[in-house]
Amino acid sequence: MPEILFESTFWLSVLQIIAIDILLGGDNAVVIALACRKLPEEQRRRGIFWGVAGAIGLRVVLIFFALQLLALPFLKVVGALLLLWIGIKLLQPEDDDGHGNIEGSTHLWGAIKTIIIADAVMSLDNVIAVAGAAKGNLGMVVFGIVISIPIIVWGSKFVLKLMDRFPIVITFGAALLGWIAGDMVTGDVVVKPYLADAPSWLHYVNAAVGATFVVVTGKFLASRKTAAAAPLHEIPLAANKDHS
Amino acid sequence: MSTRILIPVDGSAHALRAVEHALQLARLDPALELHLLNVQIPVESGHVRLFVGHEQLEDYYREEGLAALQAAAAVLQQAGQAFQQHIAVGHIADTIARYAQEMAFSQIIIGSHGRGGLGQLLLGSVARDVVNQSPVPVTVIK
Repeated sequence: MPEILFESTFWLSVLQIIAIDILLGGDNAVVIALACRKLPEEQRRRGIFWGVAGAIGLRVVLIFFALQLLALPFLKVVGALLLLWIGIKLLQPEDDDGHGNIEGSTHLWGAIKTIIIADAVMSLDNVIAVAGAAKGNLGMVVFGIVISIPIIVWGSKFVLKLMDRFPIVITFGAALLGWIAGDMVTGDVVVKPYLADAPSWLHYVNAAVGATFVVVTGKFLASRKTAAAAPLHEIPLAANKDHS
Repeated sequence: MSTRILIPVDGSAHALRAVEHALQLARLDPALELHLLNVQIPVESGHVRLFVGHEQLEDYYREEGLAALQAAAAVLQQAGQAFQQHIAVGHIADTIARYAQEMAFSQIIIGSHGRGGLGQLLLGSVARDVVNQSPVPVTVIK
């Protein structure tokens, strides 16, 4: 049914993909900006360009494989569970556990390599969520990614500001992941036959249950974690003398 | 003890109005100590830290922070006014309020874009949040 591609469900899925990419892709934009920071101006632009191009290509390939996998029995259920977990994790305050161990490169190729490796590692959540939202349509995935990656790369400052001013944006993103997860379960090869006689609105109910579950559980866990506020993080200035 | 005034700046025009106001106060009372503060929104998640070193992040914040402080610092320098500048990382309004309290400031002077109605509703205001959260007196300059 190709005509269905031009109906509202198509655009709804594209909007979901863009929202996921922007919310979960901020990390990647930061790595791209930081990996290229030490490069000379002209190389920096090339580094960002090729890093982004490589990241887009890699993302499409990963999602292509994810879409194949999701056609297997039970894997949509597994994917949905992972999505619920990612959504709940999105609502948790940051832990201070990572260690930077890859040096920011002063070579163009080093920077591009960092960007692409980082993208492969950090886009797993993204890949599952987008594959869930796309419901098997790779064209939609490519379209959503091509639109959202430039927004992430050149608009990441704005997205960060938005999330700082309005933390509700993050809650919305977590709810969206839960929604996709709930919807995804009803599409699983094994689950689907059992739902053959169910009313068509069932997958909406399921999606709403998923969204509610993620927000309620995530908020509850987060409220137990934020006992002690982190100390002020001040950046020492090299020359903080009195100016006069 | 001298009166310490904290002026949060972000490189915008309304932040500069707050700086000008503080400058006028300092001219009337030379005992006033002026401190500029820029707050950077944290960009690192657990994932980012796997790929970017701590020092690199600090460099990044320092560079971005100094760029945001630059215009305000220039105004005070030109006026021959002594001042200090600081960069902190965190949620903006929350960090300003806590910085003022923990570093024993007597007052915050902050600029506001002065948008009302729909603009206020959509964009909110860091100044308003600071007023709500700060235990230290806040002067808002429009």
